[in-house]
Amino acid sequence: MRLFRRRKLHFDLRIGLQTSLAPSGGAAGEPTTASLRVPLPLRVAALIAVSAFLVLAGRLIQLQALRGDDYLQKSTSNFIRERELAAVRGQIRDRSGAVLADNRPTFHVYATPRYVSEATLLRLGRLLKLSEEQREALGKKLQSKRGADASKQLLVAEDISRDQLAALESEKDQLPGIDMEARTRRVYPQKNTAAHLLGYLNLAGPDDLKRGYKHGDSVGRSGMEQRLESKLRGSPGFERFFVDAHGRRKSENELGEMAQLAPQEMRRDPQPGLTAVLTIDLELQRIVEDALSRHASAAAAVVEVESGKVLAMASYPSPDPNLLGGRLSRAEAQRMESDPFRPLLDKVLRETYYPGSTFKIIPALAALEEGLIDPDQKQVCHGRYELGRHVFRCMKAHGPVSLHEALAQSCNVYFYHLAEKVGLERMARWAERFGFGQPMALGLGEASGFVPTLEYYRQHGGFRGGYALNTALGQGAVRASVLQLAMAYAALGNGGKLYQPMLVDRLEKPSGEPVEQFSPQLRAQLPILPSSLERMRRALVDVVADNKGTASTAFIEGLDIAGKSGTAQVRKNRRGESSGWDEKNDHAWFVGYAPSRNAKIAVAVLVEHGGLGGHVAAPTATKIIQGYFDRVSPEHKPRPVAEATSSKLSTTLPASAGAR
Amino acid sequence: MSALRRTWSLIDGPLSAVVAFVIALGLVNLYSATRVAPKGMFSSQLLWMAIGVLLLVGVALLDQQLLKRLAWPGYLGVTGLLAAVLVVGKVVNGSRRWFGWGSFGIQPSELMKLSLILLGAQLFSSDPKDMSLRPWRYALLWHALWIVPALLILKQPDLGTALLCGLLALSVFFLVPLPARIKGWVLTVGLSGAFLIVRFGLKEYQKKRLLTFLHPELDPTGTGYHARQALFAIGSGRLTGKGYLRGTQNHLQFLPEHWTDFPFAVWAEEWGLLGCLLLLASFLFLILWTLHIAAACRDRFGRYLVLGCAALLFWHVSINIAMVIGMAPVVGVTLPLVSYGGSSVLTVMAALGLVYNVSARRYQY
Repeated sequence: MRLFRRRKLHFDLRIGLQTSLAPSGGAAGEPTTASLRVPLPLRVAALIAVSAFLVLAGRLIQLQALRGDDYLQKSTSNFIRERELAAVRGQIRDRSGAVLADNRPTFHVYATPRYVSEATLLRLGRLLKLSEEQREALGKKLQSKRGADASKQLLVAEDISRDQLAALESEKDQLPGIDMEARTRRVYPQKNTAAHLLGYLNLAGPDDLKRGYKHGDSVGRSGMEQRLESKLRGSPGFERFFVDAHGRRKSENELGEMAQLAPQEMRRDPQPGLTAVLTIDLELQRIVEDALSRHASAAAAVVEVESGKVLAMASYPSPDPNLLGGRLSRAEAQRMESDPFRPLLDKVLRETYYPGSTFKIIPALAALEEGLIDPDQKQVCHGRYELGRHVFRCMKAHGPVSLHEALAQSCNVYFYHLAEKVGLERMARWAERFGFGQPMALGLGEASGFVPTLEYYRQHGGFRGGYALNTALGQGAVRASVLQLAMAYAALGNGGKLYQPMLVDRLEKPSGEPVEQFSPQLRAQLPILPSSLERMRRALVDVVADNKGTASTAFIEGLDIAGKSGTAQVRKNRRGESSGWDEKNDHAWFVGYAPSRNAKIAVAVLVEHGGLGGHVAAPTATKIIQGYFDRVSPEHKPRPVAEATSSKLSTTLPASAGAR
Repeated sequence: MSALRRTWSLIDGPLSAVVAFVIALGLVNLYSATRVAPKGMFSSQLLWMAIGVLLLVGVALLDQQLLKRLAWPGYLGVTGLLAAVLVVGKVVNGSRRWFGWGSFGIQPSELMKLSLILLGAQLFSSDPKDMSLRPWRYALLWHALWIVPALLILKQPDLGTALLCGLLALSVFFLVPLPARIKGWVLTVGLSGAFLIVRFGLKEYQKKRLLTFLHPELDPTGTGYHARQALFAIGSGRLTGKGYLRGTQNHLQFLPEHWTDFPFAVWAEEWGLLGCLLLLASFLFLILWTLHIAAACRDRFGRYLVLGCAALLFWHVSINIAMVIGMAPVVGVTLPLVSYGGSSVLTVMAALGLVYNVSARRYQY
């Protein structure tokens, strides 16, 4: 380069020199007789011309030699347009392959403002059947784009019909600047079923654009769609094509050898997202949601006892995810937001409640395992318990009750005595062992709940004896989620194995080829004696099976259930405090597992403001359990006659078994 | 036989060679540039070139006495035309430049360039004694003479041509033997005047052009779009170009109207830096050779005539290329022998005819 430049300089100077010495140099070599002095202005003029051209040459060297590659790239990106090929989002399926979230092809119309003329706009308006106002609004919007924005595609119409697409395709030549793009739209064929678990998508916002999403991309916003976003999303491909300055597409033939300037890779196929196979059983999910729909607002979880796999998880009422993600009108969205039954909230995972009497297994096990009580020694319940100036009440005067009866009949007074012996700290420790107040690490925004300790009360106004009593009854400061209770009772039913709840069974390629198989995760093996567990089992069986049990009205012949009802006090109390949408009724709970021996599933049911747990939540739970054994897993259904009689007979425990 | 040889020897060889070479390059380039243009442009340019060659020969054969006699009437006539065109001219692209008869039209502003060359030569050569006695009178007269038509052209409005007439007239002024102090004064007054014009006298679109030239990134699709796309075209040619007929900026129409004002961008894209330097060197040779003819000429009229032509060529080439490569704002100044258009071709050919005319008479006197 430098060599070349220098040579040119010499050439220029020689000409300049020759010119300034012109008389002797002579045109065409003719001898000149009279010598004429070359006037100074001419020499200056020659110098100016040479300098000016050197400056021009210098600029050309700068543009072409130094910045040439940069400009080549710019000129190339002028005529090579890139279009993203969207990846198909992975499906979400239930454990047996039923599709819970799917995709449907849809076509969007885009306009590049720079190329869209008035005539094109008129034609487009006719084909899309836009009203005059819509068309004018669109025209204004397109005209308002200036500069670089005028070259960017603008979404004009979403999800057009097949007929409209055909019409646009047939007149494509007369629609410069208008493009149709195939996209997919997420659909949820089961509508409201498992809506909270699945979640929904909506359009990428400014933050997503920073993370590598593009305008018009959909992003998972809640539930599995959000949790598995990176797996479901896939990676987009692209297609490159040639255009002229008016945006008209050019074939490679039309370009001839100019096409050689194009990059090697003109197309990259998108990589579809992975299919997520959940642990959910659609049949059971339907049974659960159907059972919950008898109530105004309720939630339930069913887990497999021996693995922690969540078989069903429902929060009622639920929205139709097909309508979420920006497709609701403002009024509808507002109505949903302000609905007292909170259809948008996942009450299984993201809300916590007082566990009420379902929590009594914790002080009971703490007392048994630490040898603080003789379980067969009876406490007399007069319906009230005094501690200092406070009076704690029971539902009725149960008379003398053992631990077994106290659990089956949910006697509060027995547990007041017990709580005084166990103390807050031991209860807190045992609650923590069963997962209460602990995060579940599902990545679904689930709540951890809360179990108070002495430390907590010291920091919040000081500890008083009554707090331990409250805690034993699952009131006060205790909060737990529906799924936490299901997991705790599953541990009770499987001999003390606390599992991590499992929602995703495996990831597969769209072809069905497995990519990742997940296995159950044991969180802890709880150090509980089998005899304690057996004692608990028998007591919990009598909750339903015994005539005096709190949930005896929910008894179904042939179902072997161990469970505990609970009534979380949220209605207006004596101090006039209440919470929730109904001040007359408490939250109703029932949590249990079935069969009581060799348990298969654990179930937790919460009915907001349902009233008494044993009367409201327990029948819903037994209906779910019955549905499971009748329709989902009949092979595990326990033989009815033998089990029912044996449980009735074994309600009183031989003294030797409980002696420690 | 000897008569033929004598006639042949009157033709300036190097001048012919470089002019023929540039015309050839120009046509080759225009063929590529007009492939995406409306049909028939290339053949009409061929026609103009043929007419231009005839015009060149005609002008070269004219008697210099006749040229001298034509100078004043020509100037007055063309000035009259410039005044008339403002009233009855055809409006094309927002300015009144053309007298049109159907598809045929002439621009009197192009004629004014030639007329000024002729008038300058006549004015400054007619009476050297009188000029050395009263230099101020000649200087002021000359400036009055060019400013009037330049203002008329500015009124059309045609900034490029007005600017060119001014530069042409000033070049002649600085090349003729007037006292240096007068030239100094004129330079001072001229520069302050230019500043005032730029500050207060420009039309809105002209200001905008100037502004986008200074800040092209402000408006990539508006006024600065052409200039930016021209830069992409030139730069992307790199050392050896994309190859003839393979310029994407040209053939995919990212260079609008490139056959008139931006043919150099087409050339640069397809032939690269080497091609550009070749064209630049050819033009430089043409200009220096013209200066050389002027220096060799022992007759004042002939010398000033050729100097005027050299100035015309120099300013056309340097302003056009400078604006195409982003060193000057985009004003409509064509590239001699390369740009499309009858007016441009005929003006340049007539000017070259004058150069030949003077060159052929170098043995007389």
